Amino acid sequence: MGVLPDEIKPAMEGVIPAHVATCSLDGTPNVTALSQVYYVDADHVALSFQFFNKTIKNVRENPYAVAWIISPESFDSWDLELEYDHSETSGPVFDAMDMRIEAIASMTGMTGIFKLKAADIYRVKSAVKNTDERIPLAAIDK
Amino acid sequence: MDIREQIAENDRIIEQLNRELAKKSTEVRIIQQISSEINSTLDLARILQLILDSMDRVLGFQHCMILLKDESEEKLRVFASRGYDREGVGAEVRFGEGVIGVVARRKKMMRLGNIRSSMNYLMAVRAKMEEAGQLQADHVPVNLPGLANAQSQLAIPLLVKERFIGVLAVESPQPNAFDELDEILLNILANQVAIAIDNARMYQMEEGRRKELDEANAKLLRLNESLEHMVKERTAQLERAHAELSTAFERLGEQATELAAFNRTLEQRVAEQLAELERVGRLKRFFSPQLAQLIVAGGAEDPLKTHRREVTVVFLDLRGFTAFAETSEPEEIMGVLGEYHAEMGKLILAHEGTLERFTGDGMMIFFNDPVPVPNPAERAIRMAVEMRERVAELVAKWKKRGYDLRLGVGIAQGYATIGAIGFEGRWDYGAIGTVTNLAARLCGEAKPDQILISQRLLGTMEELVEAEPVGDLSLKGFLKPVSTFNVVRLKG
Repeated sequence: MGVLPDEIKPAMEGVIPAHVATCSLDGTPNVTALSQVYYVDADHVALSFQFFNKTIKNVRENPYAVAWIISPESFDSWDLELEYDHSETSGPVFDAMDMRIEAIASMTGMTGIFKLKAADIYRVKSAVKNTDERIPLAAIDK
Repeated sequence: MDIREQIAENDRIIEQLNRELAKKSTEVRIIQQISSEINSTLDLARILQLILDSMDRVLGFQHCMILLKDESEEKLRVFASRGYDREGVGAEVRFGEGVIGVVARRKKMMRLGNIRSSMNYLMAVRAKMEEAGQLQADHVPVNLPGLANAQSQLAIPLLVKERFIGVLAVESPQPNAFDELDEILLNILANQVAIAIDNARMYQMEEGRRKELDEANAKLLRLNESLEHMVKERTAQLERAHAELSTAFERLGEQATELAAFNRTLEQRVAEQLAELERVGRLKRFFSPQLAQLIVAGGAEDPLKTHRREVTVVFLDLRGFTAFAETSEPEEIMGVLGEYHAEMGKLILAHEGTLERFTGDGMMIFFNDPVPVPNPAERAIRMAVEMRERVAELVAKWKKRGYDLRLGVGIAQGYATIGAIGFEGRWDYGAIGTVTNLAARLCGEAKPDQILISQRLLGTMEELVEAEPVGDLSLKGFLKPVSTFNVVRLKG
């Protein structure tokens, strides 16, 4: 029995963007909205590496991250404690993510521009279902 | 958690597991049912319709389509669809475009539940790139068949022994509409579909081939029939030709028979004619050719029957023959007579005269009987003149031998009674009358080389004959003297 329960899967389809919090080596936190946290198996998730951004930079200095994911069906949400493990540029996980990105890119005329550089694989240290109320980043922006 | 809560929780989990199990077993049954239906038919269009119907009706996939790759290996074409306003059959999807296009290129299944969110995200990125002028003109969004507002799509490659033949796709405007169970379901279904499509295609190919074979067979059959017909026709022609030939052969046989008969009659006729000729030949030795001919032909008028006709009579004999006969040997006499008769005979024949008789050196010839001839008098005179010339030649010869023989001729014209004279056992053809008597008397009066004719005859021949008067001769048997002329020569 892994860390991730089956009921969490709908939250990992990218319907509602996820939020990921990371921290640089000097202790500067960064929280960002991310289109999808991919379910790899009950103990691992993957994040897409398309553009070099703060999240990518941070986890390569400091592997710890927390992702907040929301189920679009039940609106249940979970906090996942993650630890960056490695990056994959091939294999089934990379392929599956790459295919999705390629499909969407092709539909928006972004083929060859918007593509997966790597699949960053994280180990899920814990998954905690939230009972409190949170305000997503988008709402804060408004 | 106390023990009761634990039990309640366990019950809830068991119940949920049972529900899931029941659902799964139902779905497995459905899949089995679909599979068997698919495998029981080989009609591709019907199979695809069946699949889509079942997917909607039984499994709740409301929007689904089956796309098959075309031969270029670059495009898919919607072959069947269900749950769209427009069927969209025939719409194309290039490899690499959209979920279906990428599935086709990668030959791997893809499930997306956040298409619109992802696209919104990318469109935002795109807008920023466009603002920054980082996007080239050829990067434009594509139009794909299917729902305009699809949030979820599940596309599965149809593979037959690793060979890609098309894509089975379902979609929904709901986010996360499909889960892993749907993946499994559609995967199983896709396998069946792929095999069924392949079978159907092979079947269709076989059908096509069978049709071609049938057509070829039919053509062959037609060809055979026409050949048979031709052979029949040809046979009939040959039979007709054969019949014609047989008829011709029969006719030929008949003709041969006729010819043989004709030949036989010809032989007979030739024999008859030969016999007749022989008879004529024999008769000719005794009679003149004209008389012989008439006797043989057996004409309507019997030439031997006594009749009266105007004739010209010629008498001739040799002067000095009596003396010659008395002083010469019989062989010499016969030799001279032979020469004389032979020459005279030729001239008689040439002028168509009738030799009535000859007695030693004397000969009586008449014209216009038994066969009438034109100008009998003229013929008689011409013959006599020629005879005189011929005898003159003979005389020259005879003189060398010491014989003194000269010709004398008398000619008269008038009516005579002509017919057979004689008795049973010996008949001659003779002419009796004054004319005969006159000719004989004139001959008797003729001096050597003279041809004596009466004035009466000369009167009719003045244009032909140059004559000299001899005088009025008193002739035995004639009461009055006969004015007589000698034919000197022919005029012109």
